[in-house]
Amino acid sequence: MAYGRGAGGNRKITMITFDKVTKKFPLGNTALSDISFEIDDNQFVFFVGQSGAGKTSILKMITQEIIPTSGSIIVDDFDVTDKNFSQKIALRRKIGIIFQDFKVLADKNIFENVAVSLKVIGADQSEIKTEVRKTLELVGLSKKEMVFPVQLSAGELQRVAIARAVIGNRDIIIADEPTGNLDPKTSWDIMKIFKKFEGKRTIIIATHNTDIVNSFQKRVLVLKEGKIIKDQRKGGYEL
Amino acid sequence: MKEIWTSIRRTPYQSLSAFLILFFTLFLTLILFVSLTFLYGTLNYLETKPQVTVYFQNKTVENHIFKVRDELMSSGKVLNIKYISKNEAFNIYKQLNKDNPLLLEMVSADILPPSLEIYAKKPIFLPEIAEYLKKQGDIDEVQYEKDIIDKLLVLTNTIRKSALIFFSYLIIMSIIVLTTMILFKIALKESEITLLKLIGATNFYIRKPYVLESLFLGISASLLSFGIFSFIVFYFNPFLQSYLRGVTSLSVDVFNYPLAIWPLNYVFFTIVFVSISLFGAIIASVASYIATNKYLKV
Repeated sequence: MAYGRGAGGNRKITMITFDKVTKKFPLGNTALSDISFEIDDNQFVFFVGQSGAGKTSILKMITQEIIPTSGSIIVDDFDVTDKNFSQKIALRRKIGIIFQDFKVLADKNIFENVAVSLKVIGADQSEIKTEVRKTLELVGLSKKEMVFPVQLSAGELQRVAIARAVIGNRDIIIADEPTGNLDPKTSWDIMKIFKKFEGKRTIIIATHNTDIVNSFQKRVLVLKEGKIIKDQRKGGYEL
Repeated sequence: MKEIWTSIRRTPYQSLSAFLILFFTLFLTLILFVSLTFLYGTLNYLETKPQVTVYFQNKTVENHIFKVRDELMSSGKVLNIKYISKNEAFNIYKQLNKDNPLLLEMVSADILPPSLEIYAKKPIFLPEIAEYLKKQGDIDEVQYEKDIIDKLLVLTNTIRKSALIFFSYLIIMSIIVLTTMILFKIALKESEITLLKLIGATNFYIRKPYVLESLFLGISASLLSFGIFSFIVFYFNPFLQSYLRGVTSLSVDVFNYPLAIWPLNYVFFTIVFVSISLFGAIIASVASYIATNKYLKV
């Protein structure tokens, strides 16, 4: 159910809509099977499920890395299933992505790694300087802006990735197994950073981490073999 | 510039290979281009000389000579015809032998034949004009520089065709090698390109560093080619001057504008430099465009 953007400011709108989406790969395996759901603006959502359940496929469809075989996907008014979709760049500039393997650029220092997110949208130098410093402060890396990735721990690298994803007021933050390569303590530290953006951005996290999902008490969509088997408003991780 | 230099330092062998291939292509292109220009210049020079001279018998009346002249002019194959009367021929003879009174005493205007000096529009018309003249009455002799013109025509055509094939081969080879070199570099940065695409970078933003680096290599290779070429030309300049003694100037038509190529001058060198730099930049841009295209489909 979508709600129009109104003058009130507090009225809920739908940010992402999946309607009867199916994805079959050329070799015949089905990643997603007739799934439908909506995610509201500024909502915090977990996608959980075993490996191969379809979590990553959903995230990749939101960024139009892959196109569904059938069904429709609307992301912030962009119909990303339209074959003639010509606003891929505009769509992707609204989305910040965090990967399990961080995807931090090894030949650039931390400042440059975060700045790249603003550079691609053509921000000017002074804005980049201010925003990057502010964001690094937010993720607790303000003293390491000139350091290169090789000198950082896994947790710090994931902080860099988060900073790169949230900078530039991107509406949607997508994280694919953000704590997958981290120890439990660091995982909690990382999730605390996500918590800072709760209610300010639409946050979608695909994860296996039962403890984190249970403790956050946010909306949980449980996937199994390409289907949504449970959609809990304030749920835990049960399979 | 800093980013270009960093990229070159990180992949020095790929960069050096790309540079050497570009240099090889551009240097050979430069040599062929200038050689062809000089050949065309020489052809143009020869076209300014009387290409066919026809000597009439002494008894020939002027009206007959004028009739032949008018028929040739109306053929559309002749640029200009100059009539040399007996008296004019004698004046020329006197001028040529002014230091030899004995020769001057032996010759009078009566024994020198009237003639026509004919300038053809194109060297290719010369044999036809000569054949036409031989069929006219009262002709004593038809002279034209058949061998030289024919050889130059054959040489120019051969070089032009060979150069075209050679150019095409060089261009294809250098684009393929350069593309491969850039692909090696991009392969090292594939995950970075994927990331940039996912965060909303335009294709131009992603291509820019690779295109700029290729342009840098292309223009550097052009500069080196031009530098070595200039050194060779100036080193051999005394030899060229002695070889082309008597040739006051050579020029080629560039869009109906006569461009002087000999004596060597700055305008010609500037045009050669700009052309070769543009050529290097185009090859480099095309190669980097092809190479980056493969990785932009995310």
